[in-house]
Amino acid sequence: MVGQNKSKKRGAASRETPVEKAPLFPKSKGIDVPSDPEYSSDDEEEVEEGDFDEMLKEMASDQGIGSDDAGDSLDEEEVEEGDDESDIHSSDIEGASSEDGDDESEDGDESEESDNEEDSSLVRVASRSTDDQHTAVDSQDEVEGGSEEELDEVNMDKLTIRDFVGDIQGWKEYRKTLPQIDAGYASDSSTEDPANTIGNVPIEWYEDYPHIGYDLDGKRILKPATADELDKFLANMDDPDVFRTARDEVNQQDVKLSEEEIDIIRRIQGGNIPDADYNPYEETVEWFTSKTMQMPLSGAPLAKRGFIPSKWEHKRVMKIVRAIRQGRITRSSAPSKDAKPRFYDVWEKAEQNEDDSAQQKRLARRARMPAPRLTLPSHDESYHPPAEYLPSEAERQSWLDEDPDHRKKNYLPQDFGSLRSVPGYERFVQERFQRCLDLYLAPRMLKRTTQLNAEELMPKLPDPRDLRPFPSVESLVYLGHTGRVRSISVDPTGLWLLSGSDDGTVRLWEIVSGRCAKIWDLKETVHMVAWCPSADVCVFAAAAGSRTVIVIPSELCDEHKRLLSEELVRAGFNSAAQAEEGEEEDDSLPVSWDMPTSAEQATGIHVSVTMHKTVKSVMWHRRGDYLATLTSEEGGSSVLIHQVSKHKSQRPFRKLKGAVQSIMFHPTKPWFLVATQRYVRIYNLMQQALIKTLQPGVKWISSIDVHPQGDNVIVGSYDKKLSWFDLDLSVKPYRSIRYHRQAIRQVQYSRKFPLFATTSDDGTIQVYHGMVYQDLNQNPLIVPLKILRGHEIRNSLGVLDCLFHPIQPWLISSGADGTIRLWT
Amino acid sequence: MGKIKKKFSEGSSRTYTTRNRALRKLQVSLADFRRLCILKGIYPVEPRSQKKANRGSSKPTTFYYAKDIQLLLSEPLIAKFREHKIFLRKLQRALGKDDLTRAKGLEARRPEYTLDHLVIERYPAFVDALRDLDDALCMVFLFATMPTVSKVNNEIVEDCKRLSTEFMHYVIHSHSLRKVFLSIKGIYYQAEIQGQSITWIVPYQFSQNVPLDVDFKVMATFLQFYRTLLGFVNYRLYTTSNLSYPPKVDQSMDDSAAGLGSLRIEAKRVEDLIKGVQSSDTTSVPEVTMSKQMKQRMDTLGSKIKKIVAADTTTPAYESVGSGEADGDVDDETRQSGNLLFGKQVFFLSREVPRYSLEFVVRAFGGRLGWDQTSGGGSPYAENDRAITVQISDRPVQGHQFLDRIYVQPQWVYDSINARRLLDVEDYLIGQPLPAHLSPFVEYEEGDYVPEAASKLAAAAGFEGEVTNLKPEDRDQSEDEDEDAEEAADIDGASADEDAPDSDEEDEEDEDAIAEKQHQKQLLAERAGVSFSEYQQKQGAKPKPKAVAGKKRTKAEVEEEERQKIAISMLSKKKRKVVNRTQADAYKKAKDVNTLKTRKAQATAKPVKSAKGKKN
Repeated sequence: MVGQNKSKKRGAASRETPVEKAPLFPKSKGIDVPSDPEYSSDDEEEVEEGDFDEMLKEMASDQGIGSDDAGDSLDEEEVEEGDDESDIHSSDIEGASSEDGDDESEDGDESEESDNEEDSSLVRVASRSTDDQHTAVDSQDEVEGGSEEELDEVNMDKLTIRDFVGDIQGWKEYRKTLPQIDAGYASDSSTEDPANTIGNVPIEWYEDYPHIGYDLDGKRILKPATADELDKFLANMDDPDVFRTARDEVNQQDVKLSEEEIDIIRRIQGGNIPDADYNPYEETVEWFTSKTMQMPLSGAPLAKRGFIPSKWEHKRVMKIVRAIRQGRITRSSAPSKDAKPRFYDVWEKAEQNEDDSAQQKRLARRARMPAPRLTLPSHDESYHPPAEYLPSEAERQSWLDEDPDHRKKNYLPQDFGSLRSVPGYERFVQERFQRCLDLYLAPRMLKRTTQLNAEELMPKLPDPRDLRPFPSVESLVYLGHTGRVRSISVDPTGLWLLSGSDDGTVRLWEIVSGRCAKIWDLKETVHMVAWCPSADVCVFAAAAGSRTVIVIPSELCDEHKRLLSEELVRAGFNSAAQAEEGEEEDDSLPVSWDMPTSAEQATGIHVSVTMHKTVKSVMWHRRGDYLATLTSEEGGSSVLIHQVSKHKSQRPFRKLKGAVQSIMFHPTKPWFLVATQRYVRIYNLMQQALIKTLQPGVKWISSIDVHPQGDNVIVGSYDKKLSWFDLDLSVKPYRSIRYHRQAIRQVQYSRKFPLFATTSDDGTIQVYHGMVYQDLNQNPLIVPLKILRGHEIRNSLGVLDCLFHPIQPWLISSGADGTIRLWT
Repeated sequence: MGKIKKKFSEGSSRTYTTRNRALRKLQVSLADFRRLCILKGIYPVEPRSQKKANRGSSKPTTFYYAKDIQLLLSEPLIAKFREHKIFLRKLQRALGKDDLTRAKGLEARRPEYTLDHLVIERYPAFVDALRDLDDALCMVFLFATMPTVSKVNNEIVEDCKRLSTEFMHYVIHSHSLRKVFLSIKGIYYQAEIQGQSITWIVPYQFSQNVPLDVDFKVMATFLQFYRTLLGFVNYRLYTTSNLSYPPKVDQSMDDSAAGLGSLRIEAKRVEDLIKGVQSSDTTSVPEVTMSKQMKQRMDTLGSKIKKIVAADTTTPAYESVGSGEADGDVDDETRQSGNLLFGKQVFFLSREVPRYSLEFVVRAFGGRLGWDQTSGGGSPYAENDRAITVQISDRPVQGHQFLDRIYVQPQWVYDSINARRLLDVEDYLIGQPLPAHLSPFVEYEEGDYVPEAASKLAAAAGFEGEVTNLKPEDRDQSEDEDEDAEEAADIDGASADEDAPDSDEEDEEDEDAIAEKQHQKQLLAERAGVSFSEYQQKQGAKPKPKAVAGKKRTKAEVEEEERQKIAISMLSKKKRKVVNRTQADAYKKAKDVNTLKTRKAQATAKPVKSAKGKKN
């Protein structure tokens, strides 16, 4: 407590020291001195500064401890504690002003009260004497309280407050006896000399004027006359104190600095604390000691929280306890991990119980689709490959231009010559990464690729050489037609060949020699020529335009045959006449049986059957009496069957579905085949019923033919397919063969040999071996034998018709190029 | 009436499951699922019918086997992943709250997991693991040379280095290396271990280019498994060949970049003894005796090593690295190595040759070698050692040459290994243009192109078995000399002769026919009103390949071809496709061989220098 008091005083005193010498330059601007206390009244300490007299200064210097600030801050606390001794001192010194220790700080009080000053010379001591009694009483009480305590002897001597305790009047008296206090320069009224009042105006403003500032009366204060520079210099030379003299421009004075002031200046220059006595490293004072006080400061009862253990602390502790129990908090981990080696023999156990089949199976299941291994590098990946593996410039460029994802190889072969010049491969990491991606992202699929040899897959066909005879060489070309030869026909004897062409002629050829024996000019496109299959007669039918003519080439046959033929052909005129007389039932039919003109009759044309539409096809029944025609009509009347001997026509079908492409008599049974675009329908003419509908599965049928034994049918189509039907088996094809590159125009069986042929718009004729066995269990054998090439393609039409020779293994074909060729 | 079956309750939709369904079932994130798939080796599959597998939807989806996913359900790793996720969350929270002590504690208890069980699960037998080692080795060898990147830290790289070195040591020890190939991508090695050929590629040792378009997370996951796998494989390989595992790291050698020499391969017996000591009762007496024995051994070992050091010039250090106990083994090895390819050779590597590869390769074939100090420490031979028989050097000119040794380029070593005999050094001398380096992995089939070098090698080795396909080749070469390059580029002519031995007459006929055809063509050209050459040019586009393939076809051949064509028309559509494809393949192959042959002819026709100049 005592220490604190002292320190406070000491702090004040330390400020005082420079002040003592202040009168020399009371308001100098040039030197940094403490500013006027008037203007810094908010600073408590500085207010006090001026209040201390010499005695106090001495006292403070004697004590020599305590810091200004510490004293200050602790002042209030002490007051609270009711320790009063220090207060007594201070208040007494300051003129018995005291304060309510509990409420306000002493310093604050003082600063307020200092307003009430009356006497400028007595400063605050005087002013405080005029304060109300309350303060005096207070101080007195404090003094009384403090009297019990031990007092500093020095203070006791200097201040005789005790003498006047309780007697204010006496105090007043005593005051008069107090020695006159010389107010320091810092006090307000310390300026005896007429002070210049220019305030903060810069001194330079008065440079050109004779005066400087104004006095209280408003008169100019003239600058004292100044000596010229020479005089100044001389004076300076004489003056030993010239180096410690400063010019006070405001007051126009030379001020001589004292030793102390110079010392302060030096300190400031040196960056030290200006106060020489200030000790920055004072010993600390233990304000809060470990010593416990015997008595509590307040009498308030202890709060409950003061004597029961903290709930929250308990909770926190329990949390930790629980963590320890649960093992969440452990001591630093034991090095038990290191004891176990990282690698050991994992497979040991598995191999011991290898016969554990269930587990084996389970594990084996996992590796059912192992990832494909990386392909091993080939020669061109070498750093120094053979020269032939290096890409050409064009290949290199195309590789570079290609999208990296689509490149066949992800590298470009390069030749580095020697190992030292091989650089690192840039895309190494990417390729590894790509492999990783493939391993876990690419879907896997087991693809069973049987290493099939093309030879193994090839059908085991007999050698064509063993299947001879078959036509293989072109041996004769029949030239003469100027248009497409649409149809050919060989007479039953196999000597003569008929051909009908777009040039409107029907020509008769001698097969062996190729001589054109006769020409019939029918004026219109001849779509079809057909010999009558009967061996007794020598008759053929030709379809030219909408007309079908029946011709007897009288040159070819002997008398007997001619008579028979004429009888067959011409007998109908009589029967037709009879029929006309009898009944007129067939008027609806678009057919008229006519006698041809005499000129035509001279050429051998005996009957002409005229229909409304173009006749596409003429087919003889095997007996040679019936004739079926197909016109380009729609509906049922497109197919008509004519009886030549009676000149009678009939319409077998009232209506027909689809456009009829081809018609045919069955070679052995009373059946009639009608090929529409998609289907082949087989009708029984006797029963007048549909027997079967063959479904070749093609888009557009072009032609059909029936095997001479009657159980098999081949169907050619414009969509290049040939279908073989076994009528006993199914309505679906037994075999479909697709060889031709263009539409198939005609299919034909050989009547004598197990052969058949197809002709196509690609200019080829394909000859097959088509053996049909008597044994029903054995499937027909179909062997492709030969491709015959020779016909030229005209207007994208190739070979239009073909025909096997009835006796020889020959094939005769006609094409769009106007030729007929014989293949032997 | 039977019970109405619910749709998609059996069949393809049960066998397969989609990825999204799998995720929902497993309750894991996609990233975790992917990681699981990588580690467990589960892969997507392609069902035969996507629509059936995906319950009638034909959307493009990834399918997995439902059984695989079922198996994943019971995978302990899933729980570990969850634990780790929780750990990360806790750590994040602790760090966010600046609770460093807690974070530290968490970090100390970071959940860890091993993949040991996956190794045995994926590879129930050791052979399975060996069979699938290719990818693992490639990855580990790559990361052994990788710079440290984020996701692949230094620890992993060091581990990879150690594992790869261990594996190489095993290959050296067991002399199981078979083929080596210097490719532009890296060096391929093929070893045969327990009947399984294992191929891996090692990049050339340059600082690896770390690309940005690579997800190192994925690679790190793969690497995690591969490291485990390779570790176990190494353990097994070492222990079965009576070596101690893990081999000890010689720190001083490692610091001096000794490479392979930094690991000390020791026989297992000592290790066993130590193990025996450790596993025996803790009673002190036997331990003491054992340790005494050990001490004795160690003492003798030291003296032996000293001896070896003294006699350093005669025996290289790495063979004596085997401990004193393993002396017998070493002797065996040296004896055995006498029969190996480089058993009698002592190599010295100049500083410009890749030691990391040559040391491995030479030692794997029983050779001894030293190297320049600049390419690493621990070389048992100095350059001026008299024992050195072969110096491998890769510089255009060798300054000072010792007379008692041969100076060859490094390719000689690799080619000799692939040829399985020491090749003639004439072609590989320093400064000489090297013969082509061929891939040892190519197997020639009938009709394949056999490079000249390969046929030479085969002929020299006396492999008559392959000469059948070499024959036409040889004749071709002889033809090259007097015929034009174009005519040399003809394969069918050669093979046709085999088919038709009686073709001499027909050949003549054929030529007549060709002449006739030519004449016909000329006539046609005349009719078309253009010159013959123009006409040919016009027609040229189409028949060109034909002309190459079948220029000199005999009549019989033409017939045969036609018959083939006809026969194909008899096939069913499916078979026809197969046949057509095989025919197209054969045609393409023939074409490729042809181009190679023409190029070869061109290259030989041209002087070598000009060809080289063009390349550069």
